[in-house]
This record gives sequence, structure tokens and C-alpha cells, in this order.
Amino acid sequence: MARYGMLIDTTKCIGCYACRTACQRQNSLLPDEAFIRYEQREVGSYPDVNVENVPLQCMHCEDAPCAQVCPTGAAHMGADGIVEVDQGRCIGCLYCMAACPYQVRVRNSETGAVDKCRFCTVSAEESGTKMCSCVEACPTGARLFGDLDDPDSQIVAEIARTKAAPIAGDLTKSKVFYVR
Amino acid sequence: MMFEPIWGVVIACYLFLAGLGGGAFAASTYMRLRTPKCVHLIRYGRIIAPVTVIIGLVLLMFDATAGFHHPLRFALLLTNFGSVMTWGVVFLGAFTIVSLIVLIMDLLGKGLKIPVWLDVAGAVLGICVCVYTGCLLGVAKTFPLWNNALLPVLFLVSAVSTGMAAILLVGIFRAPHEFHLSGAFKKFHFFLPIFELFLVACLLFITANSAEAAGWASVMNLVAGDDAVAFWLMFVLAGLVMPTILEWKMLFMSTKEVEESKTGHMVSAASDVLVLVGGFTLRLLVLVAAMPITIVQPWV
Repeated sequence: MARYGMLIDTTKCIGCYACRTACQRQNSLLPDEAFIRYEQREVGSYPDVNVENVPLQCMHCEDAPCAQVCPTGAAHMGADGIVEVDQGRCIGCLYCMAACPYQVRVRNSETGAVDKCRFCTVSAEESGTKMCSCVEACPTGARLFGDLDDPDSQIVAEIARTKAAPIAGDLTKSKVFYVR
Repeated sequence: MMFEPIWGVVIACYLFLAGLGGGAFAASTYMRLRTPKCVHLIRYGRIIAPVTVIIGLVLLMFDATAGFHHPLRFALLLTNFGSVMTWGVVFLGAFTIVSLIVLIMDLLGKGLKIPVWLDVAGAVLGICVCVYTGCLLGVAKTFPLWNNALLPVLFLVSAVSTGMAAILLVGIFRAPHEFHLSGAFKKFHFFLPIFELFLVACLLFITANSAEAAGWASVMNLVAGDDAVAFWLMFVLAGLVMPTILEWKMLFMSTKEVEESKTGHMVSAASDVLVLVGGFTLRLLVLVAAMPITIVQPWV
């Protein structure tokens, strides 16, 4: 069993939205349904000022608040540590959207069910892509996907090298790590 | 970044109606034990309870679009007992069944034969429903305005207050003679908005000083932001202060003749309508004013 995670280097992110559009195409999402959202803020002080772009998506939390509150078990911890939403079980009560601290869950305006980043598991296997579509689409190489339990993986080495950490500390034991 | 509230008017109606129904049943049980002569008022409570709760549940199903399109999925609601919503379904289901049994017995003229334990069981389930509406929001750690132990208590007090107001409102017009007999009930009802005012003040003080900046932002939405007009005029003034003044005038400052006159009835009815308006406004404001915690940049 793997324990998949992602590394996002915000110092490389230029806020081009390529990851979001690639994700929408790969997963056949509706135009108003995006699994990645962005927060921006100014960092530093004059004259050394910059804009930090932070792409946010499902953090695949080990302590997932969405799965805790989901009354039907649609939101659940799936294989390999990937938090999944069983579209056939979701009633669209939106309780998971209220519980998610990252506000990265979206309602499909056609089905009414809630969805979010899937770490492109199924689609990646089907289309033979090695990585999630967002990782492959990023023009600056800001993203990396891999097995957090594999000590030889590139992601483990990069997290150690860059001292990356979850965006909100140990709030939910997130598996998406950020370099900031 | 602009934050769009996750739940809106429909869920506010549901929270309001579920609380009103649970509160009305608990109030009618209280009345059965305290003033059993008021058979009509007791019956009105028993009618209001299942009717409002069922309307609320229909609204809820309507709002849960994915389930509305595939109704069989609602059966899955009983699969995760770690979820407050699952417990809510249990309480709402049991409450609806008990309150319907009691109502049918009452309408069949067997009101006096309804066992006390059945009424008490319905009242306990009704209170569970009221508390559940608060806990449903209370467990969402994302929103400091919700994630505290005061909210379920506030919702319970408001629910009982609206349930009593609904019974009295119907009673004024349909059974005025019993309305005059229910002094203890009316006094109990009088004190609830005062207690609610105190709870709201506590909720705002605690939330404003939450470790998360979103707590302060939520309170500011209510007292000085987008929701301030509704908060001060519709909730505090119309829903809490006015009923307190009107009821105080009626209960403690008026002669029996005035209290039982047409004018007295109208003043009491107005006060009860205001309590209902306040109860709904409270649910709606708590839903739309709550801001989620900050991840990178605060929500506005």
C-alpha cells in the first residue's frame, strides 16, 4: 500500500492556472467545477515584495473532516491514502463542504453531488500518464506527486530538502506539502 | 476572496422548522403535565410538531439535489454513526414517528389515554432534534461562529421559544379561553427571549475572541457588516426585545380585562409572530454570517 502525497513549490508557481485547466480537461469537469483554487497574498516588505500564489486542492487529509461528517459514507478514505467521493452515494447535503477547512470541495451543478481532487488515480492509469495531470501540466515544475512511504521516492527527498510542510500545519494531517 | 455561504435560506428554514416542531412537542408535553385542562392548546402543539418537522425534512431533501434525483440514496444516511447528521436522521425519524402516533391518538379522541411516557419520550426526542440542529453546525471546525458549545444551547432555547410561540399564536385565535388559563406557560415563554439575548451576547463575545481571525470577521458581519440590519432590527429588536416588552406589558403590567380583551390578544399574537420571525432570522444569520478559517488569505 502506498501513501500518496503531493509537493507544491509556491516559489515556482506563477499563477497561470495551467494545473486547473489540465485537471478540468483530464477529469471532464464542468466549466464551473474546478478542483484547484488559488489564494494569493503579498509577501515581503518594500522594496523586496513578491506575490505568493498558493494553489489549493483536496489535501487528502489522514484526519479527513469530510469523511468524518459525511452521513452516507460517500466521502471516505480510499486505497493508498486517497480520500475519495463515491458519486453514487452522495446526496449533496454539502456537510463535507462545511467541514473542509480548505474550502476545496465543489458541487457538480448538474448532478448535485460533491466532488474534489482525486489525485487522478483512475484516469492516470487509464491514459498511462505517470503523474497527475496537474503535475504534468505545470510549466515551471512546481508540482511533484509520489509515495510518501517510499524512502527512495523523489517526493520524500524533495520534502526533506525543501523543508516543505502542510499548508495549515498539523490541522488535519494533510498529504499535500508546500514550499513557501 | 469572497466567501459564498454553503447553506442558505432552504437550510435555514429546515433548521427553524425542525427546532420549532421539536420545541412545540416539548412545550405541549410540559402543558399536559402542568395545565392538562388546556386540551386544545396541547393538541395544537401535537399538530404543529410533526407538520413543521415533515415540511422541514421535505425542504432538506429538496436541497440535497443529488439525493433528490436518486431518492434511494437517502437510505444510506444511516451508515456513518460518526456523523452528527446521521444521528440527526435517527432523532428526526424517531421523533416524527412518536409525534404522529401521539397526534393520531389525540385526533381519534384518545387524548387522555396517551401514556405519559410516550409524551415524555416524544418531548425528549423533540429536544434532541432541537439540540441536533445546533450540533450539526457546531462540529464544523472550519467556522468559529459554529464550532462552540453555546450554539446548540442557543438553538435549543430559540427552538422551545418558537415552539411555544406557535402554540400560543394558534391558541389565541382558536381557543382563547384556554389561552387565558395558561399563565405558567406564558411566563415560561416570556423568559426565553431574555435568556436567548444573554446567550447571543455570550456567543458573540466568545466567537469574536476566538483564536481564529474568522471568529472576529463573523461577529463583525453580524454586528456591523452586511448582516447588521437583519441582526439588529429583525433578530435583536423584533425577535427578542419587542416580544419581551410586549409580553411584559401583558403579563405584569396589564389588568386581567386588558389581557383578555381583543387588544390584549392582538398584542400577544404580535409578540408571538415576532418570536417566530426572530427564530428564523437567527438560523439564517448564523448560516450566512459564519466565515471559514484562514488558510493563506482571510475570506471576506
